[in-house]
This record gives sequence, C-alpha cells and structure tokens, in this order.
Amino acid sequence: MDLISTKWIIHLLLCGLFYGVSCNSVEQKIYINLNDTVPCVRLLNATHQIGCQSSLGGDVGVIHFLESEQNLEYVLTTGNNPPYMVILESHLFNRDVMMKLKNGSSRIAGVAVIKPNSNPVGAFSPHTTCPNENTGVYSESYDPALAHCNGTMWNPNGNGLSYEEFSFPIFSLKDDNGTEVIRQCYMDHNRAVNGSVPVYPLCAMELSSHMSAVTDTVTCMRRSDTSGLSLNPEQVCDPLGNYNVWGATKGLNNSASGHSENETVVIAAARLDSRAFFHGISLGADSGTSGFITLLAAAGALANVTREAPPPRTILYAFFQGESFDYIGSSRMVYDMQGDKFPIDLDNIHSLVEIGQVGLHASEGLWVHTDPVSRRNASIETEVKNLTDIFRSVATSLNISLGEPDVSQPLPPASFQRFLRAQPIPGVVLTDHRTSFTNSFFESMYDNAEYLNLTFPAGLTPEEQFNYVTDTAKGLAKVATLAARTLYRQAGGAEERLAGINADELTVAHMLYGFLIQTKNPWFEAIVSPEDLPALRAFPPEHYVGVNFNSNSSTKLVSYVFINLTGTAVNVSRENCSSSGKFEDAADSTDMNSYTWVRGVTPPNATEPAGYCVRSTTRLARAESPAFLLGEFNSSTYSTWSESRWKKINARIFLVAGHDLEMLTLGVGLAVLLVSLLITFFVNAKADFLFSSGREPANATY
Amino acid sequence: MNLERVSNEEKLGLCRKYYLGGFAFLPFLWLVNVVWFFQEAFIKPAYTEQLQIKAYVKWSGLGLAIWVAVLTTWITIYQHYRAQWGEVGDYLSFTIPLGIP
Repeated sequence: MDLISTKWIIHLLLCGLFYGVSCNSVEQKIYINLNDTVPCVRLLNATHQIGCQSSLGGDVGVIHFLESEQNLEYVLTTGNNPPYMVILESHLFNRDVMMKLKNGSSRIAGVAVIKPNSNPVGAFSPHTTCPNENTGVYSESYDPALAHCNGTMWNPNGNGLSYEEFSFPIFSLKDDNGTEVIRQCYMDHNRAVNGSVPVYPLCAMELSSHMSAVTDTVTCMRRSDTSGLSLNPEQVCDPLGNYNVWGATKGLNNSASGHSENETVVIAAARLDSRAFFHGISLGADSGTSGFITLLAAAGALANVTREAPPPRTILYAFFQGESFDYIGSSRMVYDMQGDKFPIDLDNIHSLVEIGQVGLHASEGLWVHTDPVSRRNASIETEVKNLTDIFRSVATSLNISLGEPDVSQPLPPASFQRFLRAQPIPGVVLTDHRTSFTNSFFESMYDNAEYLNLTFPAGLTPEEQFNYVTDTAKGLAKVATLAARTLYRQAGGAEERLAGINADELTVAHMLYGFLIQTKNPWFEAIVSPEDLPALRAFPPEHYVGVNFNSNSSTKLVSYVFINLTGTAVNVSRENCSSSGKFEDAADSTDMNSYTWVRGVTPPNATEPAGYCVRSTTRLARAESPAFLLGEFNSSTYSTWSESRWKKINARIFLVAGHDLEMLTLGVGLAVLLVSLLITFFVNAKADFLFSSGREPANATY
Repeated sequence: MNLERVSNEEKLGLCRKYYLGGFAFLPFLWLVNVVWFFQEAFIKPAYTEQLQIKAYVKWSGLGLAIWVAVLTTWITIYQHYRAQWGEVGDYLSFTIPLGIP
C-alpha cells in the first residue's frame, strides 16, 4: 500500500471518529470561500424595504463577467446557462445596469461588484437627490415653496440606488487575489470563445445573505415582539442607532435635566455617520468625516482658551450619529430636550453652528447657509446676521474665501433642521458648496481618503505617513480655526483672544489618518482605554450607524479623540476613574465631569504604558429614534429605519456539472439502489438454499 | 393488536371507543377507525356485531371527511391571505416564516 492511500485511509478514519467536528476536507476541495466581501443588506422603514437578500440557502449562478453594457443582452436573454451570477466592474455599477438586472431578475442569481483600488472619474452617488427629504424642517406646512427640495436639488448626482429593493444578493468584492481567482476560473471555463457555447463544468458562485425581516419596520417590530401567539419568537430586525457624543466647555450637571437657569448655550454640531450602498465600505470622507474632524480640531483649539478665559456662554459640542437615516441622533437630542431628559432644554440654546461637508472647500470656498423662513422673524434675523458677520470677519482675517448663498435658499440637509422643526433658533451651516453638493460621490464608497486628496509622497513608512501633514490637513485645520474663533466670538469671548486660537495641523493630519486610512496608529493607541485597544485595526472604521449599541468603533473613537483634545489629565486612581467614581469636591463629581482611563504612551524603558485618568465633559447620549421609544413604528416625524437580522452571510465559488451529468449521476445511483434491493430480496427468498446446505438444520427451540 | 385474535364483542367495543374518542376534536382517531375496521365492516362475512361496527365506521368516515374539508379550506385561505391580513395574520400564526411577507 503506497503512502498516499495510507494517508487517505487514516484521514477517513479520523473523519469518522470526529465527524462534524473537523471533517470538511471534501467541502474544501469543492468550494473556494471568498473572504474580502461586503454584502448589501436589508433595511426597512415605516413603509418600505430596501437593500438585498438571497433565498434561504443562498443563490447559485454561473459566473458571467460583464464587459460592457451591450453585454447585458447575453445575461438577460441569449445566454444558455441561466441563472447568471453577474460580476460587475465598478464603472458598470450604475443605475441603468442595475435596474435592467433587477427587471430581468428571473435570469439573475446575484451580482458581485468589484470595488476598484482607485476612484472612477465623474460622479456617482447611490443616495437620493434630496437626502432626508421628509424628516427635515422643510415640510409643506413650514414653507410649501421649499418642501421636497423645490428650492435646491442638493444631490443632483443621486441615482437612488441605495434606496432600491433587489430580490437577489449583491456583494462587493475587493480587487485583489480573490477576485483574480474568480477571473481565472471564468476565463478557464465560462468564456464563450468566438461565439461557441461554453461547455460544462462551468464556474459558479454562491452568495448567501438571507434576511429575516420583511415588508416594513411595523411588520418586523411586530414579529420581533415576543408577546404574541408565536411558539418561537425571534428578533428579526433592530432599530438603527448608536450614541451621540457631546461635551461642553463647562461641566453641565448630568444628573439634572430640563431647563437650566442662567445658562445660555451655543451648540456646535457635526454629523458622525455616513452611508454607502455597501454599509461596510462607508467612509464618507467629505460627507461626514470632514465635518466632525473639523469640529474636533476646533474643540481642541478652544480647549485652553475656554479654561483660561471662559466666554459668557457655554459652547456645547454635539456629534450626531445616524443623521444619514432621517436624523436619528439630532431628532433624539431635540426630543430629549423637549421632554426634560437632557441637562439643558431648547430655551437654553442661544444659537447653533453646524459644520457640514467641508472637505472640498479648496475648490469651491466655504459657504454659510441659513434658514430663510426663521429669518423672517426680526430678532432671529438680527442674531443670524451677527453670526454671519462674525464668520465673515474671521474668514477675512484668516484669508479664507467665505460666502453666503442666496438669502431665499433653504438649508442643506443638516441636523440644524431638526432643531428648527422644534422652534426657531438662530444658526448657520458651514459647507463647501454654494448650492448643490460639490461632493460628486455623496454617500458612496468612493467618498474616501483618495477623494480628499489624502495622498502621501512615495517612499514614506507608515510612521512617516502618519505624521505627514497633507494639504488637506492644512486646509481643514484652517477651517477648524475659522470655526473655533467664530464659536468663541459667538459665545461672547473677547476679540483680542482670537489670535491665540489656532487648530493644530498635525492633530488634523492624525485624525484624517485615523478615520480614513487606518485606526491602528500611535496616537489612537495612546488615547483609547486599554480594553478598546484590540478594536484598532489596519483599516479605517466603518461610518455606517449600525444597530449594535455596544460597539461602534467610529463613535468610540470620536469620543476618545474629543476626550483627548478637550480633557485634562488628573491624578485619580484607576478604580475611581469611571462613572461611579467618588469625589469629595462637588465640582469634581461625576455629575459634572466624565472620567476616562486611557492607555497613554509607552515610556522608552517599559513594555506597557502606565495609563492615566482624563477628566472631561464628554458624554454619550443614546441616539435611538424616538419612534422606537414611543412604539410608533409608522411615524412620519421620526426616523423609523431598522436593519434586518440574518443568520449567514457567505460567498464562495465552485465548478458546477451540467444538468445531464447531474441527472445521469442520480439515475445511476437509483439504479444501484434498485439492483441491491432486488438482490437482497432474492437472497432472502433463497436463504434456506444458499446458507444451510452445508450444515445440519438448526434445531428450532423457540 | 391483531384483530384476528380478538372476539367480536371486543372489536365492537374498540370501534365504539375510537368512534366516541373522535368527538374530542381528534379526527385522527376516526381515520384510524376507518382504516382499521374497514375490512371488518365491509369485507368480512356477516356476524352479529358487524352491523353496529359498520355504522361506527361510516359515521367516523363522515366526520373525518368534514374535518378534512374544513381544515383544507381554512389552510388554503390562511396560506393565501396571511400576508395580506398583516397584523391579524401574524397574531394567528404559531410560527412566522423568516424573510417572506
């Protein structure tokens, strides 16, 4: 017996012994699992379902690389081996092609989109043309002329693909070795050369992304409710949401709630989240990240001056989560303020400054947007005028191009709209677009570091890249200085202090690197608490809001950066450095401050950093839509977005045999079964004759 | 139990028990009764208790047929309209399939 067969027998024996534990070698021989995939999943709101799903066991189709739009003909009508698994190069991932595939879905098993390593030219936005159309302030009752983006179409490139519903699975593949394997498999087996019909075996792909929830949020929340007749109640969807991060230049008593006497607050807001067609690759470099990085840098620039010369009004920094999905975070904060569940209420708000998309200000300049409807009120108009004048004078002193759009133009989609829905508040939104978005990749996978020109000279080590101050970082730092000085003036701070308020370019560069390139970097490693260290990875965080309230890396990271930039290191033991810490002085109490234990840097002669305690005013406030709090799952006022649950998400390729061969195998199997049954029957019938001839008949004693 | 080895009185007793038991919303008992005693009732040569057994088997069969008709109608309606009924449909369901309306 030769060596190989011995090995096989041993293997089979082991398989028999440990069946179900580790015996998957046959599976490994048949399938190649694809690892770097990102699925499109199902989301639901009060009335619709969007996204994708496969059938329960996954969908299988013969792979077809779509070469051009004309090539669709083959997949949709002429090809001989439907259903097809269509592999799209990114330039074909557009509304035209996707809608044709959607309408021909009986011949389509699924779609895989290859994410390119560099951005395409032109524009692509799978979002709608009027983001958050129905939950902003511009309703028919507020001003009919401005409702439904009548005034300005904010995202003219929007093709609405993210809001379509597909009955087949769609996955994104990273353009790397895995994709090369598929391409090779396709070239070897499936490609029709010179009009010939490809012969079996063919290369096929299976995509599994079966979604549990269906129809709308009302249905899925009802089905998740365990009090019904159902024998095996199962959670089928979860509300989208996470935490808002907020903090103030002065401790606000967190145990008190409702109106705070003698307190006036200037809110400085930014949006934390972004989305894309595939949630796993949603960086939102310009759409979300540029805004919150600028606000973080501004908060950092103001940290010292607000301690040394506190302005008469408090600045409250708020980073809203889930804003891409009908303003989850801001609507919740406004709801909490209205219901006296927040340390301040709406009457404490003096004004609001929101930093929107500012990443592309280099090309179009900066623009301060205001709300024409509330400005009809004379006192609001005066306040808004004051604020824009401050912006203008600071911009002039910083040599930044800053303009005001047409007075009749409404606000772009912004968290500020949710505050205006509640009551008129003076405020502005700072962006890099005058009318429609400058960002031509709004809420798409291409809104990434490359789009912000975050590129490094060749030959830099990761360490050098991390510390390299790009032009993007310099530009954003300037915007942050503008925001910081304006905020300080708006809060009533002295003008002569302004020159000392400057955002740090290196800090901005570090933030851009951390939020858009990779979270595993020396700065993040030093400012997170020890238990969050494993969450730092060699890739950027996903900025999609998600449903997991316990962990969302971008929320946590923003809070750590905010703590680092605005807090002070204090000499407090690790046990006391938490929300349950005990402090003698009331001003030090955990009601007024938040304490966070962070890792710190490793000293030169040690292996582990010692860690220290930071005191700040940073708080996390739950950002779950009030619709879920109130049980109004069909609310038209609040966000009702929920995400379906799923059991298995998987993508793999393998070779399939032709239909004839499959039938032949089945036929032979059945024939063998029948023959063996017949033989058994005859052997049984002639058992006396066959087995007892040579022996004495046994004595039957029973 | 082999009916061949049971006396005719016992057969009648059994058949009556199954017939009466079926009224407790147990149509399967009637099904068993019909299948099990069909030969006794209609094929075997006549004997004293056969007339009574025949009656029980007939009534069991009728009851079974009504049950089948009612259940088939209901299941058809339910499967067809459950999704349209929405909330009511979900409350009527013991198990709700995942991923379909």
